Amino acid sequence: MRLAVAVQRYGADINGGAELHARYIAERLAPHASVEVVTTCARDYVTWRNELPPGVETVNGIPVRRFPVAHERDPLDFGRRSEHVFNHVHSTADELAWLKSEGPASRPMVDYLASAPFDFVFLFSYRYYHAYHAARRIPAKAILVPTAERDPAVGLGIFAPVFRSVRAIMYNSHEERAMIQAVASNADVPSVVVGVGSDVPTQADAQRFRRKFKIDRPFAIYVGRIDVNKGCKELFGFFRRYAATFPNGIDLVLLGSAIMQVPDHPRIHHLGFVSDADKFDAMAAADLLIMPSYFESLSMVALEAWGIGKPVLANGRCDVLKGQCIRSRAGLYYESYEEFAETLYSLESNGPLHQRLGRNGRDYFNAHYSWPVIERKYLDMLERLRREPATRTIEPLPGWMARRRKDLPAAADVLAGIPSGAVVGHAS
Amino acid sequence: MTDMQIRSDSVDVEQIMRQIRTRIREKRGVDYTEEEIKELARVKLEKFLDPTGVRSDLLAQFRRTNAEPDGNPNFNFENTTLFHSRYGIVRFIRRMLQPILKLFFNVNPLIDALHIQSDLNARGFRRDELQYELIHNLVLETTRLGIQVKNLKMQVDSMSGRLDFDERRARALEGVVQYRPGAVPPLQPTVSAPGRAVETEAQAAERRTRRRRRRGRRPGGGRDGMPQGSGDAGNGVETRGDADSPRVASEARPDSGGSAPAPTSNVE
Repeated sequence: MRLAVAVQRYGADINGGAELHARYIAERLAPHASVEVVTTCARDYVTWRNELPPGVETVNGIPVRRFPVAHERDPLDFGRRSEHVFNHVHSTADELAWLKSEGPASRPMVDYLASAPFDFVFLFSYRYYHAYHAARRIPAKAILVPTAERDPAVGLGIFAPVFRSVRAIMYNSHEERAMIQAVASNADVPSVVVGVGSDVPTQADAQRFRRKFKIDRPFAIYVGRIDVNKGCKELFGFFRRYAATFPNGIDLVLLGSAIMQVPDHPRIHHLGFVSDADKFDAMAAADLLIMPSYFESLSMVALEAWGIGKPVLANGRCDVLKGQCIRSRAGLYYESYEEFAETLYSLESNGPLHQRLGRNGRDYFNAHYSWPVIERKYLDMLERLRREPATRTIEPLPGWMARRRKDLPAAADVLAGIPSGAVVGHAS
Repeated sequence: MTDMQIRSDSVDVEQIMRQIRTRIREKRGVDYTEEEIKELARVKLEKFLDPTGVRSDLLAQFRRTNAEPDGNPNFNFENTTLFHSRYGIVRFIRRMLQPILKLFFNVNPLIDALHIQSDLNARGFRRDELQYELIHNLVLETTRLGIQVKNLKMQVDSMSGRLDFDERRARALEGVVQYRPGAVPPLQPTVSAPGRAVETEAQAAERRTRRRRRRGRRPGGGRDGMPQGSGDAGNGVETRGDADSPRVASEARPDSGGSAPAPTSNVE
């Protein structure tokens, strides 16, 4: 079986959520099929500047075919178009122009995906140019991995036909599936909630981390980009208040590159970007992981924390994180400072609760996010699709005039109409 | 702070969150509704505007300026002002042609308007200075008050946490005294205790030795405001599994009974 994994960026050193997800899946499927990664020459997700050479190279044993991006992203133009389609009545042409402005626009990449003799093509991240156009060109081969967050882009009209017409959809969470099914009415499309696994070491060395970074106090950990969009500003505000309330309480350790200012506080330690070994050692040393993000389709670090037996304190306004905390019975969540303080205090001080949550997290990870489980779900889906004939066709785009008719509602309004909240009552 | 009992392997996160929220509601007392907050925001600032502490005569001066019926104009527009020139010949020609000009339009409303405008300008300049000072002072005061409120809020939070801890510790101590089988009554002061024999020096020394021995068995030192100190209740439960596991709160409570298992070491 020949498989393609199409993703906006790819590389051993590219650690964006969807990109890392794509790399893990490509590497895990490689023993079972002939896998080729199809991607762009971009390394930077803001500009899509062509930084890597076009052509074929091998990354961790997987052939990677790169295509140049036609134009870099103009942030002003993209921002203007986003504001228009998200907040105003607009046309299909406006949405297509928004998609092109967002990038990474690479027509040769889409042509290659359409013409090469792949049996199936995994398209990562529904909102990017390559996924949308490839899904329209080859819906019978397209298996979409949407990595959709609850943001207005999901309410754009151009995506609903794609969600309804691809061959299958691999969701990251139950909340993501509920959201996309609500917006596209695509419950009949074969789908599975699968997510992604992680290579969690069986023996992480907490003491090594403490010695190396000279941290001897108990601490909560945040792993990821330190960014306002990830909820870090709110986290810092909450934590400073908490620290003032409990002068000798838990510290906060941050791992990851900062694109916002980290407060100068004696109990907040920013260690920058660290290796995977240090990350897992840090998680083992931590009392808990904090995930302050409002928008996540799947938090890999939360899964890793659970895999290592640590409870998670998540932002309850992110449906996915809240749902995972409830389903896994391995984390608490907060929606205000008072809840943050109470939950953090509980996890810090209540040993039995902490241990039960940590144990539940490990069980949840092993049951649903260990690699054999993930691989099995992917292989079962491929086997099912190979047996079943492709019957759906994609709805054609409106004609030239209709495409320019301003009759589409603001995407933010569409999103507001979609039911929100954690999906509970699912075992997996 | 929340004091939850974990008695079984099945942890219901939603139930824990409900408990936490109930406790927050109990602590917070009355909540403002959205409507009440909007109503507060609509109240005019004047109701709260008090010159005390800002500048004693600022408000009075501000009101006086507003009430001034006439101010001194910065320019006086007369009939001739528009036709004035420092050159005599020009003035002469303009004066000669003035009647002809007035045949075309009436200059007087223009002069009146400019006159009034000049007056308004002069008043505006004076008012602007006062307004600037007023706003400047208000901003300073608001900022200062904001910082004070923040500090007070932190102090209240801190006090609340410590009070909570003290209450819990007191309950734990009471519980130990009340429920421990064969418990002895609480120690009373040895001096001037009516109706009780004064203990001998040897007995006191023995008691001190026992206390020191007990203290030596306890793991680590407690942390301020942290429930680790509840291990002082003396029920023999370890307060910490190892250096990296969290403190134990509920285990120290006597009402947790034997159902709450002791903490074990973490994954590391």
